[in-house]
Amino acid sequence: MRKRLGATAAVVASLVLAACSNPSSGSGDSGKGGSSSWPKETAKLNGTTLTIWAAQNSNTVAKKVISDFESATGAKVHVVTIPDPYEQGVQTKVASGDKPDLAFWQPTASELTSLNATTNLQTLDGAPWISKFSPALRNITGLLHGKRYAALISSPAVEGVYYNKQVFAKYGITSLPKNFDELLTDARQIKAKGGTPFYEMGGDKWATQWWVQVQLADAAKQGLWDRVNANKETFGDPTILNAIKKYKALVDEGLFNKNITSATFVDQGKALLAGDAAMVMQVNSFFGELQASASTAELNQKIGFFPISPSGNVGTFIPDQSNAVVAFKTGDGKRESAARQLLSFWLGSEYPKYLAAQNTVSLETAVPSPATVPDALKSVAASVPTSVGSMQALAVANPDLYLNLANMLAGTMSPEKVASTTQAQFAQLAKAIGAPGYK
Amino acid sequence: MSGASRGWRRLVHPVVVVGLLLFALGVPLWLVVVTSGKSRGDALSPSLALPRHGWHFGANYSKVFTDGRVWSAFVGSVSIVVPSVVLLLLFGAMAAWVFARRRGFAVSMLYAVAISGIVLPPAVITLVLLLRQLGLAGTLTGMVLVYTGIYMSTAIFFITGFIRTIPPQLEEAARVDGAGPVRIFFTIVVPLLRPVLATATILICLYIWNDVFYAFFVIGGRKDTLPLNLFQVASAGLYLNNWHLIFAYVVLMSVPLLVAFAVAQRRIISGITGGAVK
Amino acid sequence: MTLTASTDAAALASGAPPTPPGRRAAARGRRVRPGQPWWFLLPALAVLTTFFLVPTIYNLVYAFTDWSSFKTAINPVGFDNFHSLLSSGVLLADLRTTVIYALLVALFQNVFGLLLALLLEADTSLNRFARVMFFVPVIMSALAVGYVFQALLKPTGVVNSILGALAGHPVRYAWLADTRWTLLYVALIHAWKWMGLAMLIYLAGLKTIDQDALEAARIDGATTWQTFWQIRFPLLAPAMTFNVATALLGSMNSFDIVQATTGGGPAQTTEILNIFIYRTFGQGLFAQATTMSLVLLVVIAVMAFPTIWLLRRREQVL
Repeated sequence: MRKRLGATAAVVASLVLAACSNPSSGSGDSGKGGSSSWPKETAKLNGTTLTIWAAQNSNTVAKKVISDFESATGAKVHVVTIPDPYEQGVQTKVASGDKPDLAFWQPTASELTSLNATTNLQTLDGAPWISKFSPALRNITGLLHGKRYAALISSPAVEGVYYNKQVFAKYGITSLPKNFDELLTDARQIKAKGGTPFYEMGGDKWATQWWVQVQLADAAKQGLWDRVNANKETFGDPTILNAIKKYKALVDEGLFNKNITSATFVDQGKALLAGDAAMVMQVNSFFGELQASASTAELNQKIGFFPISPSGNVGTFIPDQSNAVVAFKTGDGKRESAARQLLSFWLGSEYPKYLAAQNTVSLETAVPSPATVPDALKSVAASVPTSVGSMQALAVANPDLYLNLANMLAGTMSPEKVASTTQAQFAQLAKAIGAPGYK
Repeated sequence: MSGASRGWRRLVHPVVVVGLLLFALGVPLWLVVVTSGKSRGDALSPSLALPRHGWHFGANYSKVFTDGRVWSAFVGSVSIVVPSVVLLLLFGAMAAWVFARRRGFAVSMLYAVAISGIVLPPAVITLVLLLRQLGLAGTLTGMVLVYTGIYMSTAIFFITGFIRTIPPQLEEAARVDGAGPVRIFFTIVVPLLRPVLATATILICLYIWNDVFYAFFVIGGRKDTLPLNLFQVASAGLYLNNWHLIFAYVVLMSVPLLVAFAVAQRRIISGITGGAVK
Repeated sequence: MTLTASTDAAALASGAPPTPPGRRAAARGRRVRPGQPWWFLLPALAVLTTFFLVPTIYNLVYAFTDWSSFKTAINPVGFDNFHSLLSSGVLLADLRTTVIYALLVALFQNVFGLLLALLLEADTSLNRFARVMFFVPVIMSALAVGYVFQALLKPTGVVNSILGALAGHPVRYAWLADTRWTLLYVALIHAWKWMGLAMLIYLAGLKTIDQDALEAARIDGATTWQTFWQIRFPLLAPAMTFNVATALLGSMNSFDIVQATTGGGPAQTTEILNIFIYRTFGQGLFAQATTMSLVLLVVIAVMAFPTIWLLRRREQVL
């Protein structure tokens, strides 16, 4: 008996000793640090298998690229769908030591930090495709502490207004609003004539934050998020709090759909397409949903996009997980190099075929966008160069602002409570990250 | 009681049962089955209505069968559930025998530790880290051992309680006759345990067959099981546009257990009656 | 000359084979040493310890550190996590929700299970069919149940269309978006899924009730109602202990059904603690999440053990 207890204790003790450091720390660098080599795009890779993690809405993005890569190099590429919430699933798996070769990942600094990029990801500096990007897009995102960790593969999502052209015509709105106040004027005009100006998905929640962020575009340009990052300004201070209050005021004024608290993402898409509402404040993935149920011709006819900010038509860009790919340090030099090769292939010779298959806007100066890209997406892409960073892009951490806003819509939180709760979350995350000012 | 009122009584009972079946089960199950036979367009808004664009049972089920790799998932699920159940019952019964028969402080303490697993929530990350260190991450063996660890407390709890209701005379007699403990255990104790083993089998099968949380972290992406592949099928369509496929998969996934239960139903009830609840 | 020898001699003299030593000891009245070897415990405890206890305890240890996904090093921080957790109101609110949810589930699951068991007690073929059917939800995965009820309870879903047909005007109630009542509905859904199992246990319990006692009661003129409350219900105590215990533990430790139907919404009114833990974990705050697991564990222990002990006492009394 005693012997057995002793044996068990020894096992436990050795486990304790073995795992004194962070259990998820990488199993070692591939050795070469940042200046990794960039192999030829179609070098033979027979016998190599790569794994790519993707979310529900990005698991078919690389389909053509993968099949062409497999034929060109003999490698095998396997896409694994991580169920939503995607970021959570990936982080947990990475924490338990499970790493893919490549993954779709939000290229913002805060999200790269949450994946512990400096330890887990390969740096992509010196890649041959960086110079192919149009200058405005080259360094817009994907960087952390000056190093590049993420490769942008589609035009970063932008927060803005998707509108139904036919509804606008119906209610006599002939020109697009040029700033936030004009947007509200138009909305009130629609409401006065019996229409529903805006549609919000309070049920699925995550889009509620766009309304607040879009109002912060001017402030963001003037360094709002830098101040928040340094703890010199908080969510409870007037800039952000007033944006939250304004959102609530607009909802109370009746400018939104009646079923705002239970409406889902799917409902929102249907409503705009059917003309039940005039405008929706959303990001690119919303348009992706529309594309799943309507043809490009119909969308070009019905749906348009314009960015909006307090003083103009400035978009707020918020690259999402389907916009970028990261490469992991797996410790297997061969696979790491193959992963880099896949990225070179994708953004190199395969790029035109990829654009055609995905029907998406080109990010490279030398490659034109397919003519069949819907107009709305073209407008979105056009707004990127002048756009301003969102909270996700500029803040050092990513609190659940949307959740608190949804609670506000459901009537269980005041704007002040939303601000203070979000600030508390932000502080907690910033402290964990080690941001100066939040120790 | 007069004959007339007894006749009336006799009618009420089946009416109530049928009504309850229709209301509490019929509606949801009808929804599932009917939607699983609809075309994609019809299934976008799941409803009780019959399909407007024809029945698509064949197309949906075969699509799900191939896309969801149902056969390989079925094999995966079975090759995890069966060894787990065997290990749990064997080790659990062995340990339960000791806990049920022996007395003493050490035994009670060990018993408390042994059943603590019922209350403690398993910790996924550290579990997977451990598996990596043992080289078992992503393997079926690792998954089997994980489930065995998680449900061991449940198994021990049940079987111990049951053994305590069995009089020890038979074992004593055999022991006195000179039989070794292994022989006593397998020839005398285990046959008497059949009812509780049946109950425990059912419960454990239920938990493991449908588990997606632990499976995802231990073998997700590397091996197929039925619940994991349900995720894949559901996520193949954006924005839950695949109700027809999702429900077809749900039906396929539930059928094996349902068949097993229907067949063994009488045995199971008598098994539970036998004394697991004593 | 010892007794043993004389017994043996007598036995030998009578032509019978000498009795084996054990029986002789028994005949002497000395206690036979127990025959269950200690090593029988080993496989079970080994697996349990390695694959369950060690990772779980490890995990709880991390509650006292600053483990996160943001950095590689882990440093101990004492009770910091507990302080910040308890001072934010979310933990207490979610605990309250979890406890209410668990109580509702335990109540509904048992009531429905018992009613079903009573209804389907007789072994008619209709009843046997119904028993199998009511077990179907138990067999379905929680994810599947979540999808089904999402479809049923949408504002434009099946339940509302049935109600609309009955009421004569369209019903658009958002069942899963009511900040007051959705928790109740989700508890009902949870009970719906598991009532088949409770029914099964109660059925077994009913069948073990001694028929003679019931006969006697009937002869004495007791009504069905009296027979139930005074004889059958008390004798169902073990079944009830089992069902209540599993319902409580099951609902507090799992979150599948809530996650699949409401994801903790609307406005976090159905956010049971496990969902909050999952969310915190997802933000990369691993240490804080394990702190919450520890708190949940304590709450479960505080709730479950006295309840089970009380029920077991009641069993013995009855």
